[in-house]
Amino acid sequence: MRPAVAVAALLLLAPGQGAAQEMRDFTSARQRHGESRLTTRLDFAAGTLRLQRGDPARLYDLALTYDIERYRPISRFDPVAGAVHLGLASTGGAGIRVSSRGQLEQDAVVRLSPAVALALDVTLGAVDAELELGGLRVTSLRVGTGASRAAIRFSTPNLSRCGVAEVEAGAAEVALAGLGNSRCDRVTFKGGVGRALLDLSGSWSGDAELDVAMTMGELTLRLPRSLGVRVDVERFLAGFAGAGWTREGNTYLSPGYAAAERKVRIALSTAIGTVNVEWLP
Amino acid sequence: MRTRSGVLALLLAAAAGSFTPAAADPRGAADVAAGAAKDLWELIQQIRGEGGDTLRPIRARQASQPQAIPEAAPSGLMLDLSDLSHPLVLEEHLARLTAMAEDEMRVTVPNGTARLGAYSVGSDQTVAGHLLVVRGDAQVYGRLQGNLVTYDGDIVVHPGAIVSGDVLAIHGTVFDRGGEIGGESRTLSASPRVAAPPPPLSAGEATVRRLAGVVGVFLALAALGCLLAAFGRHNLQVVSDTVTHSFGRAFVTGLVGQILILPTFGMLVVGLVLSVAGILLLPFAIAVYALLVIVGIVGGYLAVAHAMGETYTRRRLAQGILVGAPSSYQFLLVGLAATIALWLAWALFGWVPVAGSLIRGAAVLVTWLLATAGLGAAMLSRAGIRENFAGRIIPPEALTDEYLWATPQFGVPAVKRPGAGSRATGPGK
Repeated sequence: MRPAVAVAALLLLAPGQGAAQEMRDFTSARQRHGESRLTTRLDFAAGTLRLQRGDPARLYDLALTYDIERYRPISRFDPVAGAVHLGLASTGGAGIRVSSRGQLEQDAVVRLSPAVALALDVTLGAVDAELELGGLRVTSLRVGTGASRAAIRFSTPNLSRCGVAEVEAGAAEVALAGLGNSRCDRVTFKGGVGRALLDLSGSWSGDAELDVAMTMGELTLRLPRSLGVRVDVERFLAGFAGAGWTREGNTYLSPGYAAAERKVRIALSTAIGTVNVEWLP
Repeated sequence: MRTRSGVLALLLAAAAGSFTPAAADPRGAADVAAGAAKDLWELIQQIRGEGGDTLRPIRARQASQPQAIPEAAPSGLMLDLSDLSHPLVLEEHLARLTAMAEDEMRVTVPNGTARLGAYSVGSDQTVAGHLLVVRGDAQVYGRLQGNLVTYDGDIVVHPGAIVSGDVLAIHGTVFDRGGEIGGESRTLSASPRVAAPPPPLSAGEATVRRLAGVVGVFLALAALGCLLAAFGRHNLQVVSDTVTHSFGRAFVTGLVGQILILPTFGMLVVGLVLSVAGILLLPFAIAVYALLVIVGIVGGYLAVAHAMGETYTRRRLAQGILVGAPSSYQFLLVGLAATIALWLAWALFGWVPVAGSLIRGAAVLVTWLLATAGLGAAMLSRAGIRENFAGRIIPPEALTDEYLWATPQFGVPAVKRPGAGSRATGPGK
């Protein structure tokens, strides 16, 4: 009873009166000594995360500012497996924070060497993340997000061929941009609730397949006109803006599909929501 | 100005102090000169009021006289530097060490040495084992076969230097000038800094936020109340009548209930843990108990709101001000509006220095009183299953006063109570 009243009172009284956080800076880096590959696991519980290309001579470089009461930094390197685990984990202490806005003041920048083949596994909590993977050597990618806003970009071509890229989003806003530069044979996106943008721009080096599943929300496909796109749609209560497409049952073919040099097949499954298509020149 | 002069003196002294080892290496000398120039520029900016206090921490620290730290007794402080992956733990131990007077410092570093004050590994020197440097910089020109930790000091790895293990600067920075570090470089900043609190809201913004909060809570409670009225109206009415008929008992029962919530929970957990089968049920029991408490509190509060709304509405009906057949929904909304009124007053006038706090205190107190009575009524009536506390099994003749009270006195047709078929217990009901 008393806790309930206290919580109710806090809900009414607390907005805008968040307690100041005690923040600390932590850095971790490792020089590259002939390593050719690196399995990178990146867990980030809350805050702002930037991942980008770093100095080739440095295997990895992490710089973060974190709330010492609620989180602890992670930095573990396994030289035998050639794997590193970086990030920020919750300590599970210090009680309940009514407003989580303050957690977003945590900030991390991760830089990875473009000289090593990267198997990248990223898990995000309540995070505002920007992962710039262009110019790296990503051989596999898995991103799992909770209540996050995540932008995953290949602004420049991936320096290595990528087998599979998997992105799983909970209640999130996710953007995958420059997928043509990813050089991934297969891209899988599973969205729960929220908004997702799949931008297929970039220079495609071969044909590719995308498995896209969105439970509820808005999905936007941004497609270059030069790309031949085949969409196999399986939907329940969702609309698909298929104007200009050639339809054969549940299959839609983009204009000029047959003549396109590069073809992408999208297996699209969506339950409730909207699928928008935007064309790029 | 005295402080700035002191900073300048410290800066010059530190620059002079760090020049000696660097003199052996032209690039190192250039780095020192560049650092000194940078610090000087920052100092000038500070004097001009344009720069922050960004002078490198080591410049402001009191340097210790370089010396070795003797080994501690077998029962004394021991620091294992072979694993630096937990810098926070290491920091705690080192804080204990540095809390001692300098001449009393004792620490054992297995397979390593400990130094107090600035320390330098010369270019023709090889140090075997881990190295701990406290209150001073560690300059590495030569070879270190082990891990390197500084506390209140920077680590500078110069060109040609080799550190075979990890380096960790606690309350310092690692400067990699081109040397080789075989392991990981870590830094942990000095004492925590407090993040800037968000700017205070203006009175208008604060009022709008409070109003939004109050309206949000009202709507949420109204939605819950409507669901309760739709699917559990009988129970809601019984609890509501219990509050009306036995407010004092309900309040006392609620108070006792609050006190017993945690002990009862503890007994439940202990009881289940002691029995083999009970352990399996423990997670389920915890969830059910929490749910019961929440339902009791929220449901009880809504029942009190229902009772208040009903009393007010029937009084107005009796006075002939209102005409019609009010429902439980109307009772709930009227009651909730009444209970939320104080919070609304706080939302509007919370910015007034003393009155705002008083209104908030009153709102908290009243909310607690009503919730306590509601919980008590829910307990007394077994969540609306047991009706005798609501006066429902009292013979009709005992309800004469209520009948008279509820009967219109100005020729308005008698009030038809909602759900009269199932609830009628006396004339006029």
